[in-house]
Amino acid sequence: MKNTTFGKVDQAFAFLIRFRALVVAAVALVTLAMGYQASQIEVKTIFSDLLPRDHPYVAVNQRFKQTFGGSNMVSIMIEARDGDIFNPAVLGKVQKLTVDLQQVEGVDTYQIISLASKKIKEVRASTEGVESRPLMWPELPRSAAEFAALKASVLNNPLVYGPYVSADLKATLVTVDFNDGNMDYTRAFNELMALVEEASGDGVEVRIVGEPVLYGWVNHYLHETLMIFFAAVAALVVLLCLITRTWHGTILPLLAGMVSAIWALGAARLMGFHLDPLVVVVAFLITAQAISNSVQLIARFDDEIGHGIASAAAAARASARNLFKPSMLAIVADAGCVLVVALTPIPLLQKISFIGTVWVLTILVSALILTPVMLSWFGARQRFIHPIDINPVLMRILGLCSAIVTTRWRYAVLGAAGVAFVVSGLYAFNLKVGDANPGSPILWPDSRYNRDAAEINRQFQGSDRMFVVVAGNQPGALREPEVLSSMTRFQKYMEAQPEVGGSISLADILPQVKRVLREGNPMYQELGQTSDENGELMYMFVSGSDPGDMDRYADADAKNGAVTLFFRDHQGETIRTAIARVRDYVEQHPIKDAQYLLAGGLVGVLAAVNEVILAGQIEAIALALLVLVVCCTVTYRSTVAGVFFMIPVLLSNTITFSYMAWAGIGMNINTLPVVALGIGLGVDYTFYIVDGIRENLHRSRNVEHAIVNALMGPGKGVLITAMTLITSVVLWHFSSLRLQADMGVLIALWLFISAFSALFIMPAMVYVFRPEFIVGSKRRPIVQADLTMAG
Amino acid sequence: MLRRLRKYGGGARGVVTLMSSSAPVVIVGGLLYAGLFVKAEAVVQKVEPPPIERRDTFYAVAAPDSRVVWAAGTGGKIVRSEDAGQSWVRQASNTEANLQGIAAWDSDNAMAVGNDGVVIVTADAGHSWTRAEIPPSTNPNKLFRVRIAGEAAWAVGEFGAVLRSTDRGANWSRVLPEEDRAWNDITFVGDAGWLVGEFGALMRTADGGATWESVATPNEVSLMSVAFRDAEHGVAVGLAGTLLVTEDGGASWQQVPAFTREHLYAVMWDEDHWLAVGDKGEMATAQADAQQWQLGRVAEGDVSWRTGVARAGTRYFLAGSNLAVLDNGTLSVAGHKRM
Repeated sequence: MKNTTFGKVDQAFAFLIRFRALVVAAVALVTLAMGYQASQIEVKTIFSDLLPRDHPYVAVNQRFKQTFGGSNMVSIMIEARDGDIFNPAVLGKVQKLTVDLQQVEGVDTYQIISLASKKIKEVRASTEGVESRPLMWPELPRSAAEFAALKASVLNNPLVYGPYVSADLKATLVTVDFNDGNMDYTRAFNELMALVEEASGDGVEVRIVGEPVLYGWVNHYLHETLMIFFAAVAALVVLLCLITRTWHGTILPLLAGMVSAIWALGAARLMGFHLDPLVVVVAFLITAQAISNSVQLIARFDDEIGHGIASAAAAARASARNLFKPSMLAIVADAGCVLVVALTPIPLLQKISFIGTVWVLTILVSALILTPVMLSWFGARQRFIHPIDINPVLMRILGLCSAIVTTRWRYAVLGAAGVAFVVSGLYAFNLKVGDANPGSPILWPDSRYNRDAAEINRQFQGSDRMFVVVAGNQPGALREPEVLSSMTRFQKYMEAQPEVGGSISLADILPQVKRVLREGNPMYQELGQTSDENGELMYMFVSGSDPGDMDRYADADAKNGAVTLFFRDHQGETIRTAIARVRDYVEQHPIKDAQYLLAGGLVGVLAAVNEVILAGQIEAIALALLVLVVCCTVTYRSTVAGVFFMIPVLLSNTITFSYMAWAGIGMNINTLPVVALGIGLGVDYTFYIVDGIRENLHRSRNVEHAIVNALMGPGKGVLITAMTLITSVVLWHFSSLRLQADMGVLIALWLFISAFSALFIMPAMVYVFRPEFIVGSKRRPIVQADLTMAG
Repeated sequence: MLRRLRKYGGGARGVVTLMSSSAPVVIVGGLLYAGLFVKAEAVVQKVEPPPIERRDTFYAVAAPDSRVVWAAGTGGKIVRSEDAGQSWVRQASNTEANLQGIAAWDSDNAMAVGNDGVVIVTADAGHSWTRAEIPPSTNPNKLFRVRIAGEAAWAVGEFGAVLRSTDRGANWSRVLPEEDRAWNDITFVGDAGWLVGEFGALMRTADGGATWESVATPNEVSLMSVAFRDAEHGVAVGLAGTLLVTEDGGASWQQVPAFTREHLYAVMWDEDHWLAVGDKGEMATAQADAQQWQLGRVAEGDVSWRTGVARAGTRYFLAGSNLAVLDNGTLSVAGHKRM
């Protein structure tokens, strides 16, 4: 940096420190106002935020979810411990649950389906003709004979036996859909769980899965999440206190983190955003950034005091002036990297991105300005607040760094880093988009939710649904034999995939009706020969039932219908394969009167999310790197700088991706923001070290001395931040939410690699390659500092 | 030492200078290109459909010898086993119609019939199935069953279809005129033959099918299947547990009192006893006199319907809502790993 710029920054901070009372009062005032706003922020999950905007699958889901069942379906399994379900105790509970569900918050009362609902019915021939009547509505069977009759009806009805009653007759399913408008999910979850508790017992086990339940569990653990958050912050304070041994070294970083958080949350509220509970880890990551910046400033302040600057104000000024460039660079680059996430057209990610950008930018005030200003109040004399001194340990580590850089070991370090980069880079290709394991990756495998999901998927065809709409060109298209037989073949084709447990559509119902019409002869279990015959069959099925009971399969004028596929899991691989197979089938078997539209239901929506993330991950990573390269190039007026700073970023990314692939953490809507933030995070520490080297070169031309000095100065700040943050991040490991534990490990890994590359790899790089923008060249030598400025 | 390093450093600096002129432009350009244009392509795993799919139902089986078994069913599905039902291989039938009947002369020659008048024939163990034409008709011509009588083949179906082929299924001629009644089954012992169908209809022939005469039956319930153990003794089964027995070559039939209300779809003479299968897993057996019937299930807990049964060696092959092998009382359903 030129001396003139140095001067301007110095003057600015001199001004700020002169009116420090005013500055602090202004910050306090804004914090107070923002604090009020922040306290009003809602912590909740909005389902529609998870859906990618403008994606064709989502459009299909939104258009048809009312009729064919959306992505908020909850499945409740009622399982008899002994014997089968055909007794008054079990079926009575099914009936009670079916009725009680209507009262639950946010339930779509038209989409409650169980043995005891009016919608599950059978077609039977009687003396008066063919009639269609509910299987077990409104009354339960009364005698053993009636129970036996019900059992026989169930066994003979493929729409029930399989989808709603398990193969071994020991379990039955109640499915219910939720509206995704503005509803109180916590209340819905509590009401659901109360119903489940009530139904359990007396030899009956009740299990429940579905997205609203999953996010209910996440909210359920919100209290714990916040506890861990505060425990982690408390751990930070203790560690800072232990390492820095000063009040200012303990309090100011915390203050920076808090002010940033309050401003960011307040701003989020002003922008009309809410906070998703799963994003708390991201919040912690940004708080870590704020703390890191503040610690650097304080370490520099202590250094200046140690070098004998007279007043605290002068030391604070010197610290702010000298660290201004790397801090600015770190903050702007980070903010840019976070902002890139907003390009992914998923509202949740965009909101996180905007909040995150604002949050990172607030560090400009909370750390860059507030920390030096506050420091000016603290005495110039070092007073330790406790006798434990771990400084020698830190110095030994930094000594090791210097020893490695100044000896031939540096080649070993560079070689090892190169090997690690190549190996992890290749392994990182195993990273999966979408969920990498069955069950929900948000919760631990042995959590109640995941155990319930495993049980339900064992007993039934699969609890995760996808519907493919068969959209006719004109009303009545679904009566055409060609369309219906195409649907049958489509279902058969899709069911060849092992993860597809089954499927159901209008084309399954009509053959049943036709068989009944033909005295129950299975040789006539087939679709009608003509559209008129199919129309009659449809009429038989709906006759005597409510309008709308057929809606799950086809609309009233037989224009649009759905094939519902049941999936045993929603791993990224499963969904991708299924979607590709739908496309293959549709491409190879076009039909004249209708077309297949992808795709609704949970699996359809997840397919959209995964496609967007798959398409967006390269974009997000490449553009984030570009932001970084541009920032560095502009700051150092050197294109080499941009390339140079990519090295630690690439290394920390490949290693983290490898870890994700190894640990089975998929790239999904919950992990993507952390990953994108990590890109910016990987480079901050290196900025401080490299800037330290440059600064030292202003004073003497000896590169080796400059590197050693930089390691002892800013290097100490890096070491302190990394140690405290990594240690406190470990607390996330105890979260009941697996996602947060995983992300905690990920962040710790990121911080460790960043610190390691900043302390070991990058100094060695500087030593070996001597990039011009750091050490200067004969043509453009480093400007020797004006001694009055260097202080 | 230091000087040497400096020299080396100088060289490295040269490399860096060279890089600085080109590499950054390349990298920035590459990143921009990747960010804007490169879209990751998902690698999709290939799914090979199993020979027997979950959705398949089978209407008929044929077991020409103790190892070879053919089964035919919905959507033109034909599968063949050459290890007595342990493993099955799908065969290309070149039709999407539901196949209702299948019959085989030997392990190479077979034919199958089904909806829309479809008749397909193979002479090479099913490696290729070729379509055979039947006499034209304006009716749907749904064919239910195909049977072999010596060198002749007989197919029966809707609208009074009784078709005969004398050239191993290549050409077919209509034997009886069309009428609005379905024939469900046909069987021969030497030149004597019997035909059963809707509304209790029953006909018999004594001259190899050249002339047929109607026989009165005790009721009007549709008869689904007929079998004879010799030219005199036979059993016909039908809907709602209907069971008729004759001891005079089919001239007169007595009804056995119904012991089940379920439909019976197939009956066979099994060396020393009668065997009938039907709806909801029911299976009935009787001694040679066919008077005392034992009602049971194919297997405990099995509720599948069955329209065809064949035996090879010790094993029974059952076609119905699934394809199953019954070996010494143990039922195994082919192709269903789950459920």
